[in-house]
Amino acid sequence: MFFIHQTSCISPQETFSNVKMDLLHVSVHNKLLAIEPAYTGVAVGVLRRMGKASRIGMGTAMRLIQEGAAPDGLIIGTANGGMEESIRFLKQIIEYHEDMLAPGSFVQSTANAIATQLSMLTKNKGYNITHVHKGLAFENAVIDTAMLLMENPGNTYLLGGVDEIASYNYIIEHTAGWYKKEYTSNQDLYKRNSAGTIAGEGAAMFLVNNKKEQAIAELTALTTLHSTDKELISGQLKAFLKKNVPSGESINLFLTGENGDARDADLVASCESAFGNETTVARFKHMCGEYPTASAFALWLACYLPIDQPLPEHMLKKQGTTNKNRTVLIYNYHKNVQHSFMLVTKFK
Amino acid sequence: MNRVFITGMGVISAIGNSVAENQLGLLHGTCGITKGTRLSTRYSGLLPFGEIAANDEALKEILSVTDPGVTRTTLLALHACKEAIADAGLTGAQLLSPDTAFIGATTVGGMCLMDELYNDANNPANNSAFAPFYDCASVNMYLQKYYRLSGIVNTINTACSSSANAIMYGARLLRNGLANRVIVGGVDSLSRFTINGFNALHILSDEHCAPFDKDRKGLNLGEGAAFLVLEKEADTNGKKVYAALSGYCNSNDAYHPSSLSENGDGPFLAMNGALKMAGLGSTEIDFINAHGTGTENNDEVESRAMIRLFEEPPAFASTKSNTGHTLGASGAIEAVYSVLNLVNQEVYPALHFKEPILATRLTPVQVHTKKQVRHVMSNSFGFGGNCSSLIFSKAG
Repeated sequence: MFFIHQTSCISPQETFSNVKMDLLHVSVHNKLLAIEPAYTGVAVGVLRRMGKASRIGMGTAMRLIQEGAAPDGLIIGTANGGMEESIRFLKQIIEYHEDMLAPGSFVQSTANAIATQLSMLTKNKGYNITHVHKGLAFENAVIDTAMLLMENPGNTYLLGGVDEIASYNYIIEHTAGWYKKEYTSNQDLYKRNSAGTIAGEGAAMFLVNNKKEQAIAELTALTTLHSTDKELISGQLKAFLKKNVPSGESINLFLTGENGDARDADLVASCESAFGNETTVARFKHMCGEYPTASAFALWLACYLPIDQPLPEHMLKKQGTTNKNRTVLIYNYHKNVQHSFMLVTKFK
Repeated sequence: MNRVFITGMGVISAIGNSVAENQLGLLHGTCGITKGTRLSTRYSGLLPFGEIAANDEALKEILSVTDPGVTRTTLLALHACKEAIADAGLTGAQLLSPDTAFIGATTVGGMCLMDELYNDANNPANNSAFAPFYDCASVNMYLQKYYRLSGIVNTINTACSSSANAIMYGARLLRNGLANRVIVGGVDSLSRFTINGFNALHILSDEHCAPFDKDRKGLNLGEGAAFLVLEKEADTNGKKVYAALSGYCNSNDAYHPSSLSENGDGPFLAMNGALKMAGLGSTEIDFINAHGTGTENNDEVESRAMIRLFEEPPAFASTKSNTGHTLGASGAIEAVYSVLNLVNQEVYPALHFKEPILATRLTPVQVHTKKQVRHVMSNSFGFGGNCSSLIFSKAG
């Protein structure tokens, strides 16, 4: 599909300035909040008007744009981008009875605020889009980017996934049973036998093009599914492997979006059963929490993990016999109905 | 490369519940914008809106929807989808097939139920049936389930250009071999959220909007949905074909969150890019369905960008004077209208226009005219500088 050259990530863990994989920050009240760096290169006034999703999106993207070449377009996936600003404006409407409202939050409330503020900050007049299809928002941004590179083979694009924990969404999803009722630390996320997970947020950005030289990794295939049928999903996983992994070769690392929700245990187990002893199985949602574009965090992780070093203990579910992380298959799912497989081959 | 053809269309707006009704409305210069809305807002009776006559119960009955928690936005989308799918004659097997993609756009989504969202968030013990469905994706996730789609499904939100980008994305899935047929479009319903947002920006007119008029006072919000079925030329042997989607381009104005740059760089780049892709010279465009919201900023900048590109701009008009500004639906609704220009070889009048803007002196089409129409450009510009232009051409 395309080659990944630079990556950047703001998450609840130490992933931005000085990456520390062995350190695991602990969740508070069943939430993992993104750790924001001191932002540089953006006026304080502009920063103050931005919601958190915009700030972390801008922070991760600006690093890549400042370090690398100006991208030919900006492709963002976000389910909740602008949601907290929407809530702020909604409260104003109700609490001030639709009178004398300041438009600031409304302007920042549109999901396209992240991608478009980036275009303004960097004077980027190229292709600019925001995909918002919940648990497949980032995957659609990936498909879009892959198509752009088929259409414009010499170009470089900025691809990203961003979401924040929006207060109303958290309350409503908690009520609906998507988050654990009992206090659960991310350190024990996979040990509980109860329904629900913990909430998270983050931003991950990638500079991508068609050039193999100097690339960190290649995203070789992606597929998306909409289903609650675990047999169908594990069947599609096997078909995906058959189509995309040459016979005689195997996946080194199966990185899953297992999130501690006991109701998904069978689904995850049936997907894991597609792999033999050589494949290492690892997890990432105890690091970033559950959010619709968490697959962008997983892709960042797949790019970052060194090929020849063991994984941090906290990620490991089952150590495979291969001891390499060269080929990585990411499986993510959101609320049982949206699923994706992304296949990554690493060079560095 | 394989051309992309439009083989089915569906639309619901303030001027009609079908493509045929909308065509008649355009032909007769019907204005669907009236004062008052069934929404409980202090602006009901004070501001005009392009509201669809059918209420939620009526829509549910027409559509035989009995599920709880289906929002008006989803109902409008389903209404337009059903018409488009039947029109294209898509079979059940085709809908189920993984090579059928579905791309919908919306900016409001389930947020049309702003008060329900507020209550559900503040009263967790007693949540409504709508609780899981306030986001934008909920509309298309409902449609995915309704039609049991298994191909690529997506939701796009680039503010007012959302559904133009949904059409582009679908066409690109066809051209890049990721789908063999796509259902593309957009929807938005009226909401207290958007009414108050645009009102706070002081860009809602208390009169009928008058796109490109010297004394225009702002836009009127509307609601609606439109979907189109796109297929590759090679797959349309013997099928009814309305038109070809021959060009498209997405560019950003990179200027301001809620207004366009003085010279309209974003609009210029989008229109120019679409022309280049279609391989057309600027004299070959016969009509432009302009974005033309009726705001001070948009109409003057769009005029300036048209003059920059065309020198002598072709015939143009904005159908937002018929329907109001339907936000995330407008690109798709106006795509259907552009195809109607081609199919019927006619252009429809702009309403409420009196005198041209002094700085740019452009006059939109004011009477229904039968004429040769080979290529139509449709513009959509959104907040955040998200600008997209599409070009539709006669298929023959």
